[in-house]
Amino acid sequence: MSTKSDYRRMEGSITLAPLSEQIGSQRLSSELLTLNFGPHHPATHGVLRLLVTLDGEIVQDVKPIIGYVHTGIEKTAEDKAYWKVIPVVERMDYLAYYFNALAFCGAVETLLECEVPKRAQYLRVIHLELNRIMSHLVWLGTSALDLGAMSMFWYCFREREQILDLFEMSSGQRMHTRYFQVGGVIEDIPIGFAEKVREFTRIMPGRVDQYNDLLRRNEILLQRLRGTCPLDERTLLELGVTGPLLRAAGNPWDLRKAAPYSSYEDFDFKIPVGTVGDNYDRFAVRIAEMKESVKIIDQALDGLPEGPYITEDRKIALPPRHELATSMEALIHHFKLVTEGFRVPPGEVYYAIESPRGELGCFVRSDGSAKPARVHMRDPSFVNLQATAPMTRGAYIADLIATLAMLDPILGGVDR
Amino acid sequence: MRLAVERWDPGEDQIEVQRAPEPGVAGGAYRAFGETLRGLKTTFARVIEGVHTIQYPEQKVAVYPRFRGRHKLHRFEDSDLEKCVGCSLCAAACPADCIRVVAAENTPELRISAGERYAAVYEINMSRCIFCGYCEVACPFDAITMGHDYELSDYNRGDLIFTKEMLLAEPLDQTPLRAQGE
Repeated sequence: MSTKSDYRRMEGSITLAPLSEQIGSQRLSSELLTLNFGPHHPATHGVLRLLVTLDGEIVQDVKPIIGYVHTGIEKTAEDKAYWKVIPVVERMDYLAYYFNALAFCGAVETLLECEVPKRAQYLRVIHLELNRIMSHLVWLGTSALDLGAMSMFWYCFREREQILDLFEMSSGQRMHTRYFQVGGVIEDIPIGFAEKVREFTRIMPGRVDQYNDLLRRNEILLQRLRGTCPLDERTLLELGVTGPLLRAAGNPWDLRKAAPYSSYEDFDFKIPVGTVGDNYDRFAVRIAEMKESVKIIDQALDGLPEGPYITEDRKIALPPRHELATSMEALIHHFKLVTEGFRVPPGEVYYAIESPRGELGCFVRSDGSAKPARVHMRDPSFVNLQATAPMTRGAYIADLIATLAMLDPILGGVDR
Repeated sequence: MRLAVERWDPGEDQIEVQRAPEPGVAGGAYRAFGETLRGLKTTFARVIEGVHTIQYPEQKVAVYPRFRGRHKLHRFEDSDLEKCVGCSLCAAACPADCIRVVAAENTPELRISAGERYAAVYEINMSRCIFCGYCEVACPFDAITMGHDYELSDYNRGDLIFTKEMLLAEPLDQTPLRAQGE
């Protein structure tokens, strides 16, 4: 192999004709600069490497290079019993662990034709929406930091801390909680949890207003975001982009409403949409989503039904602990489920949910054994990352940073 | 040729987010002062809220009762026998495969656990453990539980393989714990 890599050849193939037309005869020479951006640059929000071809300050082309945190999770999942896959898939998109778990559990439940109790569905919704707010807070904090708004980072992480405390209280861990199980949730919420969530939902809308006061009409932020790097709805759809990025361009596609799962049809909330699809709309849509999520949590707490928190089917869910000492049958089920796991009827299914970043789908193929034959995740970050180049081509490199921040890719999800 | 975009319509359920004014020009000159003052007002108003940070190594956050930290092996309080009977269910349930159990028979001279067998070797590789707590869920005798200690770092990887003696012993310093409902 020659030392001239694929990239050098690609760089050579870029035509400068449109550029010289624009600039005309004033330009004497045009030399392209290849900038290696990342993988350890803080503005890439993870280990994303971008090969940026620059003409002066103008981005001519962007080539994202991924795979630095590839962990082989999909392959690992094929070697584990179904319930043991849950803590593994949770670690893909590390800011949306409840979503990863639900996508997988939902797919398996569909294959098992297992009915999830209403209480479990509501508990799931509460945790999912808390998780959505938490994910958006990390996005807002780090993105604002990229744009120079330092204090936003601390404010966002203050609220995030509150959410993580709630997760610790109900699920025992702040991240990667494995709270969702096939057929429901592993434990009921503890005493005092509902009150703590209420306290949070009481504070949160005011906090969002504070973020808005700081940012929404700030001149620096407007200069950086408004009108930069728009991409039209059609191109976004052709690239398969979903989530806040698509909604910012005016398309109200939200799976929570379009194809409700986990009782989302019971809740009254709005889908924030943008108009132009520039960075400002992306910013505004996510901020508005946080407020909508708070509304959903309140409604779910109000309507939280009594009843079991996990399916009563002993072939899927572990028996309650107190039965282990008294019932032989329960002990046998327990041993069977822990050592081998449950068998899933052969078939394949695709189960999609709306994660903070777009459509998170899980494909599971079962061959009838206790381990999945194939698990594949359609991670929204991976698909959305494709839009980087069409968004930023022809923009300034400073806008590339802002666009990447508004794109909100999570590299753990991209590489899996 | 590109086809027209077909949009799904949620009807009343969508709201358009507010657009911001065009940056620059006359409004921009106003905003550079006006909005900056609003931002400063927001920032300074936070001063009365007090401090949110804690001085970590000296001060510790109390963990919730469900918090899953370092594992603990238990003994019966009355007979001092180990609860673990070496059934390896925890090892079977572990998604990270970090538990190793070798069982041996109890004899009348050497009775270690309450059951027929006991764990001659019980090791947890803490550098592999993902703290999912499946071992605790799997254990039918409540012999292993997730404790509340989280400061586990060490200088050597070998030191992170916790043996049965380490897991049975009480941790050196207690992590503060919140009461239920607190």
